[in-house]
Amino acid sequence: MNVIEINNLTKTYGKARGISDVSFNVEEGEIFGFIGPNGAGKSTTIRTLLSLIYPTSGSATIFGKDCIKDAPEIKKHIGYLPSEVFYYDNMKVKDLLKYSASFYKKDCSQRIKELAEIMDLDLNKKIDDLSLGNKKKVGIVQGLLHSPKLIILDEPTSGLDPLMQQKFFELLEEENKKGATILFSSHILTEVQRLCNRVAIIKEGKIVTVEKISTLKENTYKKFKIETKAPLDPNYFNITGVNKLEVKDNITSFLYRGNINLVMKKIAEMEIVNLWIEEPDLEEIFMHYYEKEA
Amino acid sequence: MNIYLKELKSHRKSIIFWSIGVFLMVVSGMTKYDAYSTSGQSMTELLEDLPKSLRAVFGFSDFDLTKASGFYGMLFLYLLLMATIHAAMLGATIIAKEERDKTSEFLFVKPVSRNKIITAKLLAAFTNLVIFNLATFVSSIVILGRYSDGEAVNGEIAILMAAMFFMQVLFMVIGSALAAIKKRPKSAASLATGILLLTYILSVVIDLNEDIEGLKYLTPFKYFEAKNVMYGGGFEAVFVILSVVLIVGLSIVTYVFFRRRDLNT
Repeated sequence: MNVIEINNLTKTYGKARGISDVSFNVEEGEIFGFIGPNGAGKSTTIRTLLSLIYPTSGSATIFGKDCIKDAPEIKKHIGYLPSEVFYYDNMKVKDLLKYSASFYKKDCSQRIKELAEIMDLDLNKKIDDLSLGNKKKVGIVQGLLHSPKLIILDEPTSGLDPLMQQKFFELLEEENKKGATILFSSHILTEVQRLCNRVAIIKEGKIVTVEKISTLKENTYKKFKIETKAPLDPNYFNITGVNKLEVKDNITSFLYRGNINLVMKKIAEMEIVNLWIEEPDLEEIFMHYYEKEA
Repeated sequence: MNIYLKELKSHRKSIIFWSIGVFLMVVSGMTKYDAYSTSGQSMTELLEDLPKSLRAVFGFSDFDLTKASGFYGMLFLYLLLMATIHAAMLGATIIAKEERDKTSEFLFVKPVSRNKIITAKLLAAFTNLVIFNLATFVSSIVILGRYSDGEAVNGEIAILMAAMFFMQVLFMVIGSALAAIKKRPKSAASLATGILLLTYILSVVIDLNEDIEGLKYLTPFKYFEAKNVMYGGGFEAVFVILSVVLIVGLSIVTYVFFRRRDLNT
């Protein structure tokens, strides 16, 4: 079952880009990554899903309901963490969380305590006395306190130190195990790589691809680096699938995509000093998608 | 209900200060009357010698300033200005502040419709207007009672307060409608007070120039003037209807435009 279905969503703001024809689905129980550089349209898509802004054309459903018409109903089960958190400054953390909880018709006080403990958040402080990172923690607790079925995170890790990031990811994985679906937008690939099952890559307002993380990595090249005693004849690796061959003194490097046995045979026939074969990280895959389009 | 209470709380300090302000305004105004009435006839004669335009600008052209109620009628204009400025700013900011303070990503992600949020906010603003009005009413009765010298003033005060209340609600919805329409809602409060001052100036200009009497429908400051309302004058039906139509119309504008707007971050 799809928790989120986005169909040809388009939002134009006068001259500014917005998004055009964005379509993808998020299945129940998955952690779905939404990646792209700043300004690619991640926030615009998310803000449209939350009906903070309205689409120029296209539509989206959440839990099978229209995201505009049924917004109040849908939002009972959504937890949202914006990229920059802003709250009513003259409130205490405790009061803000209580206020937030008052919108959901259930008792959240126990969950608030638990979450505050995990995130190491002082509930008695005033919000305007908090650092950026601590405000973010308020945002996290605020987004999760009603145990939402769908968690939408827009670049959630900015401002959090690595330890807190770790705790936060563990918290998300726990929520996910309990059945929550997560839409995780980010421009930091390592965190997406670590958490997500599938990703949508967005560029200049358009979806470039939607893939499983594992397929993304399978379908791409491996990086070879070979050290030899003498510089290698550049034509030696003249087989299909080899790319960006570079010979620098005794080091030969290239990218390979295709049947791995072919290359390994070639390498076995030669005298080598050292050999490195690396999986590209997501960052490189990502760049690959971007360069291809450019 | 939670939004309503939250809004009341966040405007608590402001309404307390405004109430103190309006109280001091009545006190200082009526203290002047005290000095004035003891100086006797000479002051009235002096004022009557002033050019008509100057008297119109200061708003004391049509009152018997030797009577406490007359003096209060003149003072009322300033109370009215305070009340409408408060109302216009409140109406605009209560709608616009979520976007101004970037808390819109908190509130509008909650499971409540925009209509309900607007209703809660307008009700909270309305409550503040009632408090402002009551504070003015009570201050006026208490202070004026000390100077009235047996003159029955409470009835006059009551009708003036009713007039003021119409104006407050009207300017509140002018503010809220502007905040709902404008792309940059931050500037709604200043625009609303700008409109307020402009309509006020227009009302003064009309006082100075009888040829443009017809323009009185354009400025709410002409709808319930103290000089017409007091001493048994009461409200003119056409202006009551006009105000109600404007209030209802602008409320609808607030709802319709706000429901459709793209919220800024």
